[in-house]
Amino acid sequence: MRAFRAGVWLELQIIRSSPDTLIPFFTAPLFTIIFLMIVRNGGRHDLQPDALMAPVLMTLWWFALFHGGNLVTGDRWQGVLEWILAAPSSLATVILGRIASIMTIGLVGFFEVWAVGRLMFGVSIPFEHPLALALTLLVTVFAMAGTAVAFAALFVLTRNSYTFANSSSFPFYVLGGVFVPIALLPGWIQPVTKGVFMSWSSDLLRSSLKPAPIDNEWGRLGMVLLLGTLSFLLGRIVLFYVLRRMRTTGELATA
Amino acid sequence: MQHAFRAGIADYRAIWTWRSWVLGWMVRVIAQVSFFGLIGLRVSDERAAFYLLIGNALAVAAQTGVFSLNMTSSERWAGTLPLLVASPTSPVVVFSSRGAYLAVDGALSALGALFIAGPAFGLDLPWPRVLAVIPLTGVVAIASYCFGTFLAGLVFRFREINSLVVLVGYVGLMTVCGVNVPLSYYPAALEWISRFLPLTNGLLAIRGVFEGAPWSTILGDVALEAAVAVGWMTAALLSFNRLASRGRLDGSLDYGA
Repeated sequence: MRAFRAGVWLELQIIRSSPDTLIPFFTAPLFTIIFLMIVRNGGRHDLQPDALMAPVLMTLWWFALFHGGNLVTGDRWQGVLEWILAAPSSLATVILGRIASIMTIGLVGFFEVWAVGRLMFGVSIPFEHPLALALTLLVTVFAMAGTAVAFAALFVLTRNSYTFANSSSFPFYVLGGVFVPIALLPGWIQPVTKGVFMSWSSDLLRSSLKPAPIDNEWGRLGMVLLLGTLSFLLGRIVLFYVLRRMRTTGELATA
Repeated sequence: MQHAFRAGIADYRAIWTWRSWVLGWMVRVIAQVSFFGLIGLRVSDERAAFYLLIGNALAVAAQTGVFSLNMTSSERWAGTLPLLVASPTSPVVVFSSRGAYLAVDGALSALGALFIAGPAFGLDLPWPRVLAVIPLTGVVAIASYCFGTFLAGLVFRFREINSLVVLVGYVGLMTVCGVNVPLSYYPAALEWISRFLPLTNGLLAIRGVFEGAPWSTILGDVALEAAVAVGWMTAALLSFNRLASRGRLDGSLDYGA
């Protein structure tokens, strides 16, 4: 637990000293404005709640992908990975603490988007099913953290992790149905989307904002949890083998 | 200039291979444009989807142009910035040439996205009129790159906010340059300001090509886009050296905030 807490504290310090980390909090209001302008210009005021949820998911995804995903690579570049591995605490626990810290901060995006919608367009998030909304956000953050661990492990294997992170934003916004439900995507792509936790999260988030009862709420929440857990386990396994290989070959500090 | 351009190409080849550019970057760009196309279909109809497709494809050219901001930051990370400032060649010449490949990349990416995602959504490409889109996209990419070079001068001494300025810069352009809604949707003041930004006028010209507007209107819009490009590059030339000298005076080129 001490290692986890140390990870949380370390990440808070890093974020504090690096304004670039908080980029999504600057782009989320802009995407909120863009999406709200599109739906209002199209006369579809009924889609305003969906337009507010999309930047929330995009913000969380950004934190998981660019910040969480680059944790181990960043440590390697700074030459501290050997020291962390030599310490008695588990690297995975420290990473989990750091990612939990990042993703919790990412939730601020929800309130930011809410405020922008309210102040600039007079649109609020309709809390039709507040408990379902809160639970969905919670399991989404968990799944994002699990995915960030997987990205952190996979990015270490790449020559330039930034190119992979940069290439994984919009494809996942499409596959995750961030704004457009996956039911509207071409039929051949829909089976793929079932394996992307964000497609379950985004559908559930949208359902929680509508007055109609939510169909199969617990089952859908369970799917987000399951897919997030699988990503986390995959990340742990890959990280274990990657670090073991690096220790064996002496590549910890070198490319 | 020639050496700086070659160094930029070498940088780019170190970052991307052909495979990662096609399977990574281009897939992302096509997904980005399709994302907005799908929103158009959900919100309204094919017409709305085409509007968003064209706007967001061109926004890719602007986005890549603004990436030229990263040049100064990477020089600083590499520790070569003080050496560049100390050399007899002006830093703005080096930075503007070194990042020039981004204008080419931006135009190619935007055209790739438009001509792949467009037909996938059923966008009609009127032949041979559509050929005019190629040079017009080039003008948008150059204008955005000039704007990026100007911003690079501003953040010269503030490495920590470099990525922030890049991201906010291009998403800001997507917000106010008529990419997703017509200019008439904005308040009058914002519409007026957007005419001084890269992308706005060039995008109007390209929409004109697709909508069958008279060539005189298209040429007028592209001339304005070119004027905007010249304006931002002039501003970059005037401000860059002064900002670099300030860093030399207070010794912040290497370690400044």
